[in-house]
Amino acid sequence: MIGSIPLSDVLLVSGALFSIGVAGALLRRNAIQIFLSIELMMNAANLALLGYGAALGTHQGQIIVFFVIAIAAAEAAVGLAIFVALFRHTETIDVNKINLLKW
Amino acid sequence: MTVLDWVIVALRVVLPALILPAFVIPLVWVERRVAAFIQDRPGPNRVGPFGLMQSPADILKLFTKEDTVPASADKFLFLLAPGLAVLAALSTFAIVPFGPTLNIAGHSIPMIGADLSIGLLYVFAIEGIAVYSIVLAGWSSNDKFALMGGIRSSAQIISYELAMSTAAAGVVLAAGSFRLTDIVVMQQGGHHILPFLPRWNVFPQFFGFLVFFISAFAETNRLPFDLPEAEAELVAGYHTEYSAMRFGSYFLAEYINVIVASAMTATLYFGGWSLPGYHPHGIVGGVVSLCVLAAKTAFFVLVFIWVRWTLPRFRYDQLMKLGWKALLPLALANLLWVAGLEMYRLAR
Amino acid sequence: MERLFFDAAALLAILFAGLMVVGRDPVKSVLSLVVSFFALAACYVLLLAPLIAVLQVIVYAGAILVLFLFVLMLLNVGREQPDGARRPIQTVLGSLAVVVFAGLLLGMLRATGTRIPILTEAVGPEGLADPAALARLLFSDYLLHFEAVSVLLLAALVGAFVLARREEAP
Repeated sequence: MIGSIPLSDVLLVSGALFSIGVAGALLRRNAIQIFLSIELMMNAANLALLGYGAALGTHQGQIIVFFVIAIAAAEAAVGLAIFVALFRHTETIDVNKINLLKW
Repeated sequence: MTVLDWVIVALRVVLPALILPAFVIPLVWVERRVAAFIQDRPGPNRVGPFGLMQSPADILKLFTKEDTVPASADKFLFLLAPGLAVLAALSTFAIVPFGPTLNIAGHSIPMIGADLSIGLLYVFAIEGIAVYSIVLAGWSSNDKFALMGGIRSSAQIISYELAMSTAAAGVVLAAGSFRLTDIVVMQQGGHHILPFLPRWNVFPQFFGFLVFFISAFAETNRLPFDLPEAEAELVAGYHTEYSAMRFGSYFLAEYINVIVASAMTATLYFGGWSLPGYHPHGIVGGVVSLCVLAAKTAFFVLVFIWVRWTLPRFRYDQLMKLGWKALLPLALANLLWVAGLEMYRLAR
Repeated sequence: MERLFFDAAALLAILFAGLMVVGRDPVKSVLSLVVSFFALAACYVLLLAPLIAVLQVIVYAGAILVLFLFVLMLLNVGREQPDGARRPIQTVLGSLAVVVFAGLLLGMLRATGTRIPILTEAVGPEGLADPAALARLLFSDYLLHFEAVSVLLLAALVGAFVLARREEAP
């Protein structure tokens, strides 16, 4: 019996989550929340990958997502370390105020 | 799925969740009496025969105490955190098998809450919820002692989770599956080299068992790893600001965690519900398996209690050093050893 | 019925993702994202990837976001203050970009009528949802990728340690 979750549902949800992530990354000034929006975008991509993997009956979707999760963990660790180092210097997390390299 | 099937599923899931807290009440009494015995004093023996009514009396007291919420606390998170702790503690028991698959009147009833294909990993996922309950308690109390205790405790849990999962990986490698039912089935029968010993995982993987059991002490915040809630150092750690039944919830969650950790140790390393040489059939077999698991769990719970009242507390840096520099390498060595054994077994 | 569960979990994920983006308090944002990730893990299970779902909970919701919370709590990051110099250009252009982007994305993503198989069929040895099959692939076809990612994790570990270290007095 063929399944009951249409792929378009999955892609719609993935697109919506990605758009919310883009909105967060563009419209927030808080560095932590920008970072969280980026994580959300990665998860939206994971969802789309898994959807296609399941629809095409292959394991490749799961493999790619496995590696994406591992790499996201590495990236989050380094990103937060940069954030901590930055915060110690500037005492602010407003990205508009971190503008020493501006012309 | 007929109505009867749904009823069976509901019973499998709900009964452990109801029975476990019921077991905590006598467990508190046992702890206090054993503690007293170790410390050469009588212990509670006035309330009821042998002090057995002490625990119900304590629970009644906790229900009727004043329930304070600090004025500057984050109210929603403050109220959420104890609930999360109990939720996490109870959820972990869903994958522990307490018997073989029974065949009663044509229905095949697996005696387990949920036989997930990713069984053992589910436990580590639920530990994530437990970490949140502690961190949120520490943060929302708006109290520096609570915050310190919360952060210390969650850092401790995350560190020992690594050693614990590496030790459990040795068991998974030997069994070839994450399902706890497969792990128990693999431990049935006699040992191949020494036939008088059962084929329990503790015999080839003794150091893995040690790492797992010691990490279980750290995961459940029991002495000698209970600095985050130590009375002398941090008032009461992350549950400083909790009173009455909210504190009771954390208390309940800790004891349920102890029971579940003992059950997991028994299942992973000591054969779970199986007894060497006994093949369970029907309802009698199910009941006997349940009693076997209960007996093994009770043994490990007694060891938890015994260690708590015998050993002194670790200092925080000693605790972290032990977790990262001693237990994790030992668990990795155990994993290599198991891999070697598996290759030897496959080559024969 | 799987579609019902998937839609419910997906709706929850979208709702809490929206709450995360809109919220002012960073701690509340992180917690909303945690709930969103749990809902996404439920979606992953329905997409025949239980191993990935549990890894998502262990790694993403249970480790990465806890790290976020630690950093927020230890640095005592406050709520986002309303900025004196309001930048209407940024808000307008940003919203416009989001709307255009979302429109393009959602317009592009309408797939054919392909449907996803039900979980009960695919669970079983060598099925799509079997963890052992995934593990076998990881250690055979994708071994190089696996080892490369472990080196990457080591590099990230060392890098994070070096970056976050306090400068020692010479």
